[in-house]
Amino acid sequence: MITYQLTIGYLYGDLMNIYGDTGNVIALKKRAEWRDIEVTIKQISVGDHLKPGEMDIYFFGGGQDQSQDIVAKDIQTKADAIKEDIEKGVPLLSICGGYQLLGAYYQPFNGPKLEGIKVFDVYTEASHDRMIGNIVIETKEFGKLVGFENHSGKTYLRKDARPLGKIISGFGNNGMDKSEGCIYNNAIGCYMHGSLLPKNPKLADWLLEKSLETKYGEKIELKKLDDDLEDKAHNTSTKKFS
Amino acid sequence: MLRLYLAIWLAKIIQFLTRRLNLGGGSAAPGLYALKIDPQLVKKLSSKIPTNIVISGTNGKTTTSRMLAHFAQTNNFKVIRNSTGSNLERGIASALINKTNPFSLKLKNADLGIWELDEAAFNNVVLSIKPNIMVFLNVFRDQLDRYGEVNTVVKKWEETLKKVNFNSLILANGDDLNTLRLKGSFRGEFETFGMPNMMIKGEAQATKNKSLNFKAEDVKVSSLDNVTFNLNFRGMRQQVLLPLPGSYHIYDFLAAFAAGYHLNLDPEQMIDSLDGFVPAFGRVEKLIIKGKNVYLFLIKNPVGATQVFGTIAAEIKPEDTVLLALNDNFADGKDVSWIWDANFEELKIKDFGLRILCSGQRAEDLAIRLKYAGLNTKQIEIQKSLEKAFDKSLEITKGRVFITPTYTAMLGLQSILAKKGYKKAYWKENN
Repeated sequence: MITYQLTIGYLYGDLMNIYGDTGNVIALKKRAEWRDIEVTIKQISVGDHLKPGEMDIYFFGGGQDQSQDIVAKDIQTKADAIKEDIEKGVPLLSICGGYQLLGAYYQPFNGPKLEGIKVFDVYTEASHDRMIGNIVIETKEFGKLVGFENHSGKTYLRKDARPLGKIISGFGNNGMDKSEGCIYNNAIGCYMHGSLLPKNPKLADWLLEKSLETKYGEKIELKKLDDDLEDKAHNTSTKKFS
Repeated sequence: MLRLYLAIWLAKIIQFLTRRLNLGGGSAAPGLYALKIDPQLVKKLSSKIPTNIVISGTNGKTTTSRMLAHFAQTNNFKVIRNSTGSNLERGIASALINKTNPFSLKLKNADLGIWELDEAAFNNVVLSIKPNIMVFLNVFRDQLDRYGEVNTVVKKWEETLKKVNFNSLILANGDDLNTLRLKGSFRGEFETFGMPNMMIKGEAQATKNKSLNFKAEDVKVSSLDNVTFNLNFRGMRQQVLLPLPGSYHIYDFLAAFAAGYHLNLDPEQMIDSLDGFVPAFGRVEKLIIKGKNVYLFLIKNPVGATQVFGTIAAEIKPEDTVLLALNDNFADGKDVSWIWDANFEELKIKDFGLRILCSGQRAEDLAIRLKYAGLNTKQIEIQKSLEKAFDKSLEITKGRVFITPTYTAMLGLQSILAKKGYKKAYWKENN
């Protein structure tokens, strides 16, 4: 029996890790380890060199404005590697600030546009509305997802972009068009903190599965885990916040 | 003047009714309505107090102000403060109204005002109070859904401090870069306190070349009941025994001591009086219920919770039981994501399977957090009802019970303790 091994690339974990984002990395690691998959977490930060093929999953969280400026500049140097990996099927989860920087651009109130790296065909504009609260969405691949959003940037999908899901309750991308997040290949961007993955184990497992399939080039079916607690939390919160 | 009369009378009536009808402590509502009638109320009333001190920061406000009040009272000061953790403007208004004679508008028994202000309220109130001393404890990630980002909090403080046009002294935590940085925006005197050899696990730490005006050295944490250290200030050295668990309370002591020092309180007397210091309700409490030792530690945010878990983990024994309670009301923070930034991994004690009860509105979130911290699911039990969880913890424990609730869960617990006759209602406690 072969032992699978995965490397999680935590993009700017030192600067972009607000609202429990690290919980997502913990969830990926644990859910892999419970299936005897070896996991290495690699921090990728400002000035680090990134080559395509080094990472099997990417995670990219949200940050404070100041961090976001620094990261926006630096991520351009990693854009080619990340995009090449995503084209090959390497999964990525990005949340809030991370999601915004993977779009075309972020337009703050004052000052110049922050260019994104255009993984997602979306753009974001600063707004005076703070969109805060629990959020529940319906998705095709993962059923209902539940999290907590806290953003003032409004993200708009261009015509070829596919939303991650449809809002059941909350604001989502922009508070207007009932869409939340974006999905391209196996890359996902969204506004859902929470932490997202521990309470939405289906999504966590999908990321792991896609990661292994891309790396090992075969169909992978992950071993079932005892998700009693996770399911309970998922069901209680989707019910409570819908 | 008429406005102020009206405001005070209305508030007094509300205060009377809420207590009479047992609607709770009545610590915020009277002030809230009074401020609607007279928005200048805090300014008008606080100016009648000879000395005012404000205390702000993420963690430790209540313990610090309570300790400073204790020092001052030992020196026969008559202290007025917002004492039940209501640290918004309305809480201050309520406390002021409480001590105001509704006929003469004079304040009775108020030589010294000690006001704890939360990070946002500081900006609204400090220019009205015109404090003689401002204490900044720390800035950590707390309820970011309410306050905004850490940087924003500090920036707003800086803007406010630039507007200070009265004589005042700042006492700031010298180990926290965020409070240290305030020096640049303040024209008045600026002194620091801290621990030269300690690191705060948190947001931003000052490390090298710290010059601290009040410092604690040779810290020894010996048990759940106290810590000892050497206090070093103005060239003097004193041994201190602080009757609180966990080294993080040393900052609260240093801040209170430094403020007391500037009030000309006798240093030795302050240190000696620690012996009789009782921490604030629910922050850290030790009770004996049905012959069992029950410890209560409030948790509010990642840094505070991690400190509490570390303190408990160092002391826990196989026969003990832990009860965690997580609510998501406004005062707790609606966003419970913060539990993923707190180090629940501390509770993973290798040699034995500690039993942990998860309670509160978000009990399931706690349970998952523990599971992903590496605890066995057999150790974890969900009981959403706080009262049932509390009863159960007493029933199953063979040793002590450690309870760590978030803010409104702590209030709920205080009511349960009062109802069952284990404790007086919290708003009736002496402050």
